Parts: sequence; C-alpha cells; structure tokens
Amino acid sequence: MAMTAAALDAAHDGLRAAGIDFVSGLPDGWQRPLHERVEFDDDIRYVPVCNEGVGFSICAGAWLGGKKPALIMENSGIRVASEYIARISLGTGVPVTLLCSYRGDVGETEHWGIPHGIVAEPLLQALRVKYLIVRHVEDLAKSIVRAKRIAEAQLHPAAVLVSGDCVWED
Amino acid sequence: MALDRYEWLGRLAGRIPEDALVMSTYIGAVSFEWAHHTEEHHRSAHLGQMGDVIGLALGLALALPHRRIVCLDGDGSVLMELGQLVAMGEQQPGNLVVFVVDNGVYESIGWSSQGRRPTATAGQVDLAAIAAGCGVPYTVDVTAEDELDAEIDLAFSRNVCSFVNVRTLPGHSHVRPRRTDGIEDKYRFVRYVERLEGIWITGVPPQDIALMKGKKH
Repeated sequence: MAMTAAALDAAHDGLRAAGIDFVSGLPDGWQRPLHERVEFDDDIRYVPVCNEGVGFSICAGAWLGGKKPALIMENSGIRVASEYIARISLGTGVPVTLLCSYRGDVGETEHWGIPHGIVAEPLLQALRVKYLIVRHVEDLAKSIVRAKRIAEAQLHPAAVLVSGDCVWED
Repeated sequence: MALDRYEWLGRLAGRIPEDALVMSTYIGAVSFEWAHHTEEHHRSAHLGQMGDVIGLALGLALALPHRRIVCLDGDGSVLMELGQLVAMGEQQPGNLVVFVVDNGVYESIGWSSQGRRPTATAGQVDLAAIAAGCGVPYTVDVTAEDELDAEIDLAFSRNVCSFVNVRTLPGHSHVRPRRTDGIEDKYRFVRYVERLEGIWITGVPPQDIALMKGKKH
C-alpha cells in the first residue's frame, strides 16, 4: 500500500510550489513513491538518512545555508526527530516543513500503525508544531504550501499529515 | 597521549581559512574557548547540541558546497547520534571537516570525588574508526602534539570530507561562559551568512513588500 498516483503528483507539486529545494527523509510504505520522485527532481537536493532525527538536523543546517528544507517521513519519525526539533527549533527557531504519513489514522489496516496514530498529534502539540491533516487529494498541494509558509513566518516547523483518500481507494 | 583543549583550539583558530563557516557546540568548554580564541566572530554558529552538531554542519555543507565548513563537536555528542556519521559517509561533501574534542568524559556535567563520568571513548570505542566504517573518506585519530598542525593544514589544503578526532585532556573551561542564547546566536550567524553569500535566509512578509509599491527609495 502506497500513496495514490494522484496524491503523489499533488505532493510533488506542493513541494515545488512551496519552493522546497532541499529534502531529507527516511522512506516509508506510504510515501516511498514520493522519495523516488524527489530523488530525481533536479531542483531538489535529496539527502536520504537512516533516522529522522539526523534528517531534521541536516534540514536545519541546510536552512542556515539558505535552503528551503522539508523532511519526509512516517509519523513514527516524529518521535525520533522530536529530540532535535526540541533542541534546535524550540531552542533557536529554525523552520523545517514536515511531510508525514499519518499511520494509525481512521482507516488503518495494520496493528503496528496504531501507536503511531496515538502519539503523533499530542507530540506535535507538545513541540508547538502546527499541523494540517490532509485526507483529500485536492487539499494536499496547497496544504504543503501553507505549512511551509507558516514555518517561515514563525521560524519553527509546521507539518502536514497525509492519510485518507491520499492512500486508500476503498 | 592527549592534547590540551584550550591550546589546540587556539591553534585551530589561528589556521582556519578566513572565509570558512563554523558549526560549533552550543554550550560547554569547547564553545566558550572557541568563542574566546575567535573573539566571538560571527562566522561561528554556536548552535549544535548533543547529537546534532555534525548533522547541522552536514546540512550547511550541502547547502553551500563552495564554502569551507568546519564542525567542532565533542565525543559525548558524536556518540549520542552515530547516524550522523552514516549520513556524512554517504554524502561525503568535500567542503566539510569535522574536528572532535575527544576527552573521554562528560565534561559539562561536572565531577565529584569519584572523578568525571567517562564516555565510551574512554574504553574501547574509536570514533575515527567508526567514521571510516561509515565511509568518511579521510579519518584520523590524533594523539600527539606534533600531529595536530599537520592534520589541520592537510584538512584545509584540499577538498576531502574529513573527520579529525583529537584525543584531548579533560579539564574545565579556561575562559568565562558565553552570555548569548541560541536565538541571538542564530540571528547573528544568519545575518553573517546573508552578507557573505549575498542571499536572504529569513524572508520579508509579502504584506510588507506590498507596502513598498510606489516608493521611490
């Protein structure tokens, strides 16, 4: 199960429309096609990592060098990245756009995704990360643009959680 | 053998290229002494903390591939997030040089009659060997005074992604703590990079730009 072809196009369009030129991340089942797409986008520097905390630090460093970074990951990665979101962004004010699969959302089929759904939103709230939950493909691109916009305005991360019709065609 | 931190940081400060940028630790003796040796020059970002200093430096190096990026980290910080070395070894930016102040202890937490709390490098762990295993092209474990200057000059004379681990004596800061926080450090570094590179990192609100329409200056 991966994001739909329409959602893939919308997510890629959203990243480009937002001016994202630097992406780090760890691929997951849902957003794997987006990693594959971004890796070959000549306008985006793609940096794969082995954990999302490292990816967040790399994105933050890239922002300090003038890039517009996004971190693409499963929502379980928010837990891993939270240490560095707190240290770097709560401590110094650095914006990174977070694009996360919302495993454990209503409709989930996998038992292992349930804990990810339980933790994700309270953790984002604790980290003062504003977020949009996108369950309709037509909302995806503009939500990425808006998340990046407020991240830049508040100098702190903002997130898009992807689920619903972006993944399931039931 | 091991080197005196204050002394070797001073030697590094004296050899660093004029147009380089530095990602340093946020607090602690390394940050304080580096700021002292460099007279708080704004080219140094004292923004790194436990487990993220190399990641920040790597992102900066990838964002500015034409610019020499120097990273100053500690052994406890590197050990906290070894995945940074994996990313460094995979990306291998030739403009990045990491120097590690490896004193084998958690210096900044203080000590008691039992001494300082050791890090894993006080035992069998060899950070330069780990970095080499992650694919970092050049790694070295510096243990002697007479090796250091040559390694610094080598690192700055070529474009090779390098990891220089410097075995360092424990010891509290020789200078006063810094007074700035991460917010101030970020802004002064960002403004310095903006001037150096001729770019804007923080933006201008669109509404404010609209207010300028019709203005002559």
